[in-house]
Amino acid sequence: MKKEAFNELKRESIYIGALFIIFLIIFKIIFFKESFFIVLRAVFSIFWLFVFPGYSIMLYWNDKLDFAERLVIGVALSAAVIGISSYYIGLIGLNVKYHSILLPIILISSGIFLFSRKK
Amino acid sequence: MKLSVLLENSYLVLIFSALLLIGNANLWDYKLSHEFPYGYLASDAFQHQARAEAIKDAGNFRFEANYISHGFENAVGRYPPIIYHLAVIFSYLTKLEVYDSIYFIVFFLASLSAIIMYFVIKGLNKNVALLSLPLSLLIFSSPNYIGFTWGHWPSMLGQFFLIALFWSFYRMEMEKSFLLVGIFLSAIILTHTSELIFGLFFIFVFFMVGLLFKRIDLKDGKNLAFGIILALIISFYYLIIFRYSWFIEQPYSFAVKPLWEGNPGFYLANFQLLLVFILIGIVFSLAKIKYMHIAFLAGVGMLIMGYGNYFGFDVRAFQLRFLWPIYLSAFFGFGIYSILKFFIKKWNLIYSVSLGIVFLVIFSGLIKIPFIPGYQKLTTQGIMDSFHWEALKWLSEKTPENSKLYFFYGDIYNQDALLRNSKRVHFQVDPNDFIENINNRRISREYVTELPGDGGGGIVYRKSPFSFGEYQKENEQGYFFGKKDICEFDYYVFDKASRQQALAQYNLLIANELLKNNFTSVAFENHVLVILKNNNVGADCIEERSF
Repeated sequence: MKKEAFNELKRESIYIGALFIIFLIIFKIIFFKESFFIVLRAVFSIFWLFVFPGYSIMLYWNDKLDFAERLVIGVALSAAVIGISSYYIGLIGLNVKYHSILLPIILISSGIFLFSRKK
Repeated sequence: MKLSVLLENSYLVLIFSALLLIGNANLWDYKLSHEFPYGYLASDAFQHQARAEAIKDAGNFRFEANYISHGFENAVGRYPPIIYHLAVIFSYLTKLEVYDSIYFIVFFLASLSAIIMYFVIKGLNKNVALLSLPLSLLIFSSPNYIGFTWGHWPSMLGQFFLIALFWSFYRMEMEKSFLLVGIFLSAIILTHTSELIFGLFFIFVFFMVGLLFKRIDLKDGKNLAFGIILALIISFYYLIIFRYSWFIEQPYSFAVKPLWEGNPGFYLANFQLLLVFILIGIVFSLAKIKYMHIAFLAGVGMLIMGYGNYFGFDVRAFQLRFLWPIYLSAFFGFGIYSILKFFIKKWNLIYSVSLGIVFLVIFSGLIKIPFIPGYQKLTTQGIMDSFHWEALKWLSEKTPENSKLYFFYGDIYNQDALLRNSKRVHFQVDPNDFIENINNRRISREYVTELPGDGGGGIVYRKSPFSFGEYQKENEQGYFFGKKDICEFDYYVFDKASRQQALAQYNLLIANELLKNNFTSVAFENHVLVILKNNNVGADCIEERSF
């Protein structure tokens, strides 16, 4: 990966980290009767399942879209791709319980790979 | 990050948080995890929850569980699968129960629909987008809120992907944008296939207007063609199932249905005074039609299709109206912006954000203004309670898988999809016959009985890759409804309490009569119900008599 692309990734990773903390705080305020651990797990799951994979895939279009737009559309894209893939992979025979780990890893690595190739 | 970008992003986070708060957290008593399905107000909600639970148990959606399919084995999973798979995966990750995870996914993604629409409207004008966004809060006002609480979840999620499709058209000029078009189209097909009609109608409007004003070119056509081909390839397996189930069972037929029977439908008049600004926005947008702003085309398209109940789309059109506050928000924002621009020539971002926050306060119901709709807080545990849930869990975990259950009268059992949480093939007494027996002061061995289940789209099984049979057509009506001998069942469920105590007393009378034989025993009991086990299925279990 070129230095320029790496720096961009690094800068936006900080934004995502900040967003994670912001959402953790917001979720704890909104669901104030819930334990911190469950809220933390929920926010992490949202980021793991939707935000990280979506952001990684959308890196492909980073020259056309700003960070916020990529992040939001990335969530929709991730929901679509993970939902569709999970259905078919389940039919092929891999139990859905493994998909929560496997599919985000595949999407995140594919997204970063395509981004580095494009750059 | 620039200050204006920071302000804009903070505003988006604020609105999204407000959507989650009033949509989800208020209903859920500010908790994410619950002891039982919480805030479920109708059978359809349990229908989706039970199916997701069954997929979690099976590990895939090859087949529909037999306790959902009237007892039939190997019924093909014919419901569009995305919502269920997302719910199961999210449940595994969060350790939330499936009944919480599926509901949360719907609230979360429906709230995000508003933010995606914001980006579509931003293509028109950032100030218009900022002013439009708060109108989305009305998806949680009455009567739209039943889209969530009554379980129209696949439709809500299908519309989330529909809005994502609008965005992909807005960004059609991007390299390889056909990938996004194709993925969102197939996500619509695999979430709630009927939304595909709305998506295709939007595409039709897009191309008609584009051709009229010569604003689309060959590249757009190629992008769309590739997108559709990709969607067909991705959805091919499921579309075969759809073709032989839903397409046959629920074909299109022209009908005019001004009212949504049994449901409070949403009408334009529900916007009350806000309709004035929406109409002004529509009128002003006509002047800009040649610029083909996707927000306007999508708004007009969904407005027309929302009236599809007048040309054969019936329930689907009413479901589309649940998200009218999002689809039509561009007109609202544009109407307000156009009016204000008459008076304030140098409009800036701060004004839009400030006014947006005022709208947020009004639409979220913090300040009530006559003739302006707003959110009304609803906190309820819904139909389910901890006692019934405890019993259903016990049945699903402690009884043999091939057990046949018989539910006598219970106040909540008319929402029969909740009974699927027993995860066993189950039957229930027909309330009319039950009451007739009470009136005749008679204890019977045979009661008119229903075999509940989900027959929507036809319960089909696969004969070959392109050939399906349908269980419902191959079985007599008596299989599903008719007199049944209660001695043929393994377990009996009796509610001990009811809003009409005579019904509960009759339940207990039958239960006590069954306990008189020496092979029926109490297997489970809590404050509101008792479960008996029949240890000699088929034997003479009850003496018919008058009381």
